[in-house]
Amino acid sequence: MAIVTQYYLVLSAAVFCIGVYGILTRSNALMFLMSVELLLNAANINLVAFSFYYGNLTGQVFTLFTMALAAAEVAVGIGIILVLYRNFEDIDVTKAATMRW
Amino acid sequence: MVIDIAGASVPDWVALAPTVALGLGAMLLFVVDMVEPEPGTSSNATLAGISTLGALVAFLVAGSFLVIGVGQPDGTGAVSLFNDQLVVDGMSLFFVVIVGSVTALVSLASYDYLAGQRYQAEYYALVLLAATGMSLMASANGLATAFVCLELSSLPSYALVAFLKDNKGSVEAGLKYFLVGALSSAVLVYGISLVYAASGHLQFDAIAESLGAEPEFVGVLGIGVVMVLLGFAFKTASVPFHFWAPEAYEGAPAPVSAFISSASKAAGFVLAFRVFLTAFPEIGGLAGGDPAVDWIVAVQVLAVVTMTVGNFAAATQEKVKRMLAYSSVGHAGYALIGLAALNAPQQDFVLGASMMHLLVYGFMNTGAFLFVALTEHWDVGRTFQDFNGLSEQAPLACAAMTVFLFSLAGLPIGGGFVSKLYLLGATVQAGTWLLGAALVVNSALSLYYYSRVVRAMWFEEPDASLEVDSYPTSLYAAVVIAAVATVVLLPAFGLLSPSAIDAASVLF
Repeated sequence: MAIVTQYYLVLSAAVFCIGVYGILTRSNALMFLMSVELLLNAANINLVAFSFYYGNLTGQVFTLFTMALAAAEVAVGIGIILVLYRNFEDIDVTKAATMRW
Repeated sequence: MVIDIAGASVPDWVALAPTVALGLGAMLLFVVDMVEPEPGTSSNATLAGISTLGALVAFLVAGSFLVIGVGQPDGTGAVSLFNDQLVVDGMSLFFVVIVGSVTALVSLASYDYLAGQRYQAEYYALVLLAATGMSLMASANGLATAFVCLELSSLPSYALVAFLKDNKGSVEAGLKYFLVGALSSAVLVYGISLVYAASGHLQFDAIAESLGAEPEFVGVLGIGVVMVLLGFAFKTASVPFHFWAPEAYEGAPAPVSAFISSASKAAGFVLAFRVFLTAFPEIGGLAGGDPAVDWIVAVQVLAVVTMTVGNFAAATQEKVKRMLAYSSVGHAGYALIGLAALNAPQQDFVLGASMMHLLVYGFMNTGAFLFVALTEHWDVGRTFQDFNGLSEQAPLACAAMTVFLFSLAGLPIGGGFVSKLYLLGATVQAGTWLLGAALVVNSALSLYYYSRVVRAMWFEEPDASLEVDSYPTSLYAAVVIAAVATVVLLPAFGLLSPSAIDAASVLF
């Protein structure tokens, strides 16, 4: 029996909310990156599910792009977190507060 | 496919020549840096020269394409490439002109700013790669392409903001820019996935066609459209994703602040214009009838809040660079009028006014940040008081800065006056009095904090220790060119605005 497409929307919304919760509550920069990955993968679930629903490949192909871009983003992010550690000797994002928000 | 440019038949990808020039420039920088015998010994002049030249070529080619009619209705018509994933029309060329000119000014100014720094080749290459992404954003014609181009311009920008690796401010700015950027691009992708869920397509025209005026899944689509709007708010530094801007602009090297606040903002706007006008026109009620997803109201709220937040926050700042950062947020609010006042009868005039404002803003804001780069070069400090009496030592640069600030405020000394007048006219046409009132009140407020800098530079007594010992040629040249362009745009505004309005009219 095929799974109803709405359930995928609920699943992806749940993953998205977990990601947002992680971003709001964690101050560790690496946990932040992981939460962002959750957000992007929530979008991927939607794209693949509706690609199947509509019977075209557009969404699935875009998922591949999203994954590649997520990897690129993490690569740049890790670099920035590395220089953050060298300058502040911590990867706590709330410690880097020499300028006020 | 073959198109006809100035009497010669050429392959259709030639229409992308400005973008290709930027990309090739970046590759050339990598090659030059690679073949140097010792790592990091490439001459700063060569690198800055290649970078400036690449941007200048993009600027000139895009400008001449506009003149000879590439992508315009009376010339070749809009050129669609790669199965309609990219489109070259008047709108995209107009914004490539903005991105190209800002990139050229920034590369030129970076020559002095970067003297003695390491990793110069990487710096210029990242600038050109980001500019390539921005010019592609102007051509993107599908949500997939749009997202890839947006990331191509964002990722190098993160690295550029954190370029001064041993400077705590720069690293902190880079971190904050990256964190907000990663979050907002995730929101954008989720929005795209919801729009795809509601329409089954990613290409703009196909989305509009499949949605029609009464789409099936309005709830999902509505959330998707709002999330896409929020994703663009990050790129344009609008509320609610504006709070990275003051941090990133203050901590970043000043030429990078100029680059991100002018070129990146313009690129974000052109993408927003194209997405909302070609993918979501009918559901927004632009074709008449009740809107299914009333995004115009959402943009109106964002515009008013953005300009008010930006200007009021700018008025309370103590540091000049941070004040400019908040003023940049305020100007994002002005430019949003191009989308917010679209219920006016003459839609092309509304959009054209916003495009012209971004063009003028490109010069005056870049110039203002490059003046800050000049003061950082002199080490005069960052607060308003540190600028006291600067005009005695550097009258030319201070005169240029005065032009930028008054033009940003909307006084008739530069193009900023006419562009704000056009925006005001747009709000009057649309009958959105709140928008027009917000524009006028905020411009009046902005005069207060801009003139604080002018007063400090010209009327206050200088601090005894203030000494300007060098006059860096390329920084000066960039500031003066930007000032001349700002002033010239006042009389030349009427010459250029028809091309902006023509470019805008194609989208309706």
